[in-house]
Amino acid sequence: MLKALLATLTLSAGATLLAGPIQAADYPQRNIEGIIQWGAGGATDNVARSLTPHVEEALNGKIILNNRPGGTGVIGMNTVMHKPANGYTVLYGAENPQLYPVMGLADFDYSDMTPINVIGQGMVVIAVPADSPYNTMDDLLKAAHDKPGELRMGGTGAGGLPSTVLAMINSVDTLDVRNVTFGGDGPGITAMLGDHIDFMPLSLAAAQEQIKAGRLKGLAVLSKERLDVLPEVPTITESLPDIGSYLPWGPFWAVAVRKDTPDDIKATLSKAYQTGVANKDFQSFIKRNGAETLNLTGQEAVDFLNHWQSVTAWAMQSAGTARVSPEKLSIPKP
Amino acid sequence: MGDTLSYFLMAWSDPWLLGLVATGTFAGIYIGAIPGLSVTMAVSILISFTFAWDINNALALMVGVFCGGVYGGSRTAILLNIPGAPSAVATAFDGYPLAQRGEAGQAIGLSTVMSVIGGMIGIAILAASAPVLSDMALQFAPRDYFLIAALGLLLVGSLAAESLARGIFAAALGGIIGMIGMDPVTAQGRFTFGSVDLLGGVHYVIVMIGLFGVAEALFQLHQLDTTPVRQKVDKIIPSLHLVLRFLPLSLRTSIIGVIIGALPGTGGDIAALFAYDHAKRTTKTPKVPFGEGAYEGLVAPESANNAAVGGAFVPMLTLGMPGDAVTAVIIGAMVVHGLNPGPMLMIETPHIFWFIVGALVLANICLLVFGLMGIKLFARVVELPRAILIPLILVLCVVGSYSINGSMTEVFWMLGFGLLGYFMKIFGFQMGPVILGVILGPLMDKTYRQAMASVGDSSSAFLMDLVTHPLSLILTAVVVLLLLSHTPVKRLWTRR
Repeated sequence: MLKALLATLTLSAGATLLAGPIQAADYPQRNIEGIIQWGAGGATDNVARSLTPHVEEALNGKIILNNRPGGTGVIGMNTVMHKPANGYTVLYGAENPQLYPVMGLADFDYSDMTPINVIGQGMVVIAVPADSPYNTMDDLLKAAHDKPGELRMGGTGAGGLPSTVLAMINSVDTLDVRNVTFGGDGPGITAMLGDHIDFMPLSLAAAQEQIKAGRLKGLAVLSKERLDVLPEVPTITESLPDIGSYLPWGPFWAVAVRKDTPDDIKATLSKAYQTGVANKDFQSFIKRNGAETLNLTGQEAVDFLNHWQSVTAWAMQSAGTARVSPEKLSIPKP
Repeated sequence: MGDTLSYFLMAWSDPWLLGLVATGTFAGIYIGAIPGLSVTMAVSILISFTFAWDINNALALMVGVFCGGVYGGSRTAILLNIPGAPSAVATAFDGYPLAQRGEAGQAIGLSTVMSVIGGMIGIAILAASAPVLSDMALQFAPRDYFLIAALGLLLVGSLAAESLARGIFAAALGGIIGMIGMDPVTAQGRFTFGSVDLLGGVHYVIVMIGLFGVAEALFQLHQLDTTPVRQKVDKIIPSLHLVLRFLPLSLRTSIIGVIIGALPGTGGDIAALFAYDHAKRTTKTPKVPFGEGAYEGLVAPESANNAAVGGAFVPMLTLGMPGDAVTAVIIGAMVVHGLNPGPMLMIETPHIFWFIVGALVLANICLLVFGLMGIKLFARVVELPRAILIPLILVLCVVGSYSINGSMTEVFWMLGFGLLGYFMKIFGFQMGPVILGVILGPLMDKTYRQAMASVGDSSSAFLMDLVTHPLSLILTAVVVLLLLSHTPVKRLWTRR
């Protein structure tokens, strides 16, 4: 402790003496602020708070985490984009920014920042209450075909995960439902446990404990192969083979900084985050939560983000839920 | 059984855990007392802080902070008329007038004892009937939450002192403030005028700090030359007689608190307002009128908001679903610490359940000790000369609103609401209904649209649902009867 304190003192004293331009050699000199674009206790928050201690170790610095939720994450991202581009503010974001332009929520997305790390991707499962008459995805689709516009789907608002999954299904089949909006996966699951909605596409992290306990039934996972954590739940391609062209797809988490941040600082951060994500404890945390780590940096991260955006935006376009055409935003077709 | 007891006593017998619960409770009281520093915030900071700790240690600290924080909100509400947290808004209605009468010490003493009684009742119900209560909570459909919100808005009748019209205006204003920000369904901005900062809405704590804190400070400028009331600080610990007199009320409002707390969509803030209303309705002849320093008006919300803590743990421990914002963060902490909060939590890891129950009881005992300590000192705050007190309040307001998001936007909003509140006070408007509107407006908006979407946007189906489901029917009947009791219909009925 004393040693660390002394080291910090010497470091900061040295920095004041030199007072030259910001260089990676003496970065970080002070605390870094990590802004989480979702609220405390949510999936993004949990990922950020589990990952950061490992990054701090690799970076030999301190990262103070702050939640700036609101407006599907627009506010948190906007905050980071208005802070100085000196590497002392990093954004912990989810997949939402990639849909801001199509949804007309904001005119920026991840391409206006530099991704430091695409941490990992979550899995999606379509769930129904335990006592639901629907036992397979085909049952659900058939019910929706027989009685269009009567099934109640739990949603999380325009641009949320359920509405995106609905758009994907609608681009290959028809699923005409009533969309009941909840504040997030948690309130949606609660409503489903009380039979107030018929089904809901959920992040596996939020649903897996309920499915394992038999409180919810998993009808399909949004994947081409069955998952190790829920081997008895079929894949969605077993019912809807055409949806395979969109997969693998899921919500993801990423860390990004402003574009104008000096390159050597970006490199330092990339290295630290790569080490942090690779940490064994963090890996097992992500796995336990029904997700997989990606640990992408540099061009790989950019490619991932572009691909995700193009797949999702065009699925929404063909389902008719995009507010601004992806063509107009020059988002290439997948 | 033996196992249960040993889990329950874990936090009691381990001096380290005991210390953590005590530290958490102590810190919680002061975090809760400062408006803007919320328990939710404190607990989420604790996640990073306790990352490498053992889960029991982390939970001990969090449980302590939670209990302390909910109680702490009443401190500043009584002393300065600034509720430290939304769940203490109702405490200010009668707590502050008590302090102005020189009874700040007695008010804090009574609120401490009643908080602990409420807290204990909440824990007892949690321990005895968590699974039953959570099954009951699941029965609440969106339409039932809508009815609860409607019932809540009817509290305007209780909160708007002399003029009902002004009260309705204030509540409507609050409702509109609550609508600012992104529409939860369509993600369209409402009342944002294109500003990105407004997309997330105006945090209701900002409204609260402005309307209560700044407005109070500005209003006191009118009375600069009056000498503050001397505080009576002799009989601080309430007599057994006094406690017994309010025990029935405390019991009733604690049950209100547990139930509202256990519903995943509502929490201690709404519970306290309902409890206040209940006290006002059932106390036919208070010694002092409500709003002027009635003990009943203090006992009810303080019992209810602390009982709601036990309630909030019900869905969390039985289903892995948060009962309020704080338990949502505690669930996050458990996930980070490698636990799997879900329906299996109580079965696979029963020690977590009983450990939390034990820590809650311990935290409430700490609350009694710490809460009754230093009251004399705190009561003197009211005696401070205005020239010191007013700047102190303003500083507290600015710090509190800045710390919500670490940005100046909130501070400007808070000052704006302060100014608004000042003029509202001058023209005889009450602040309570505004907060009521800010809290309940969005709940009503959200749940009404959920209920309508569930029935395919058919008004007739929605109205049918209100009377064909037993739970909804009861709530509808209460709403209708409550409305009728305020109209000439009742007078006609009773005259006959």
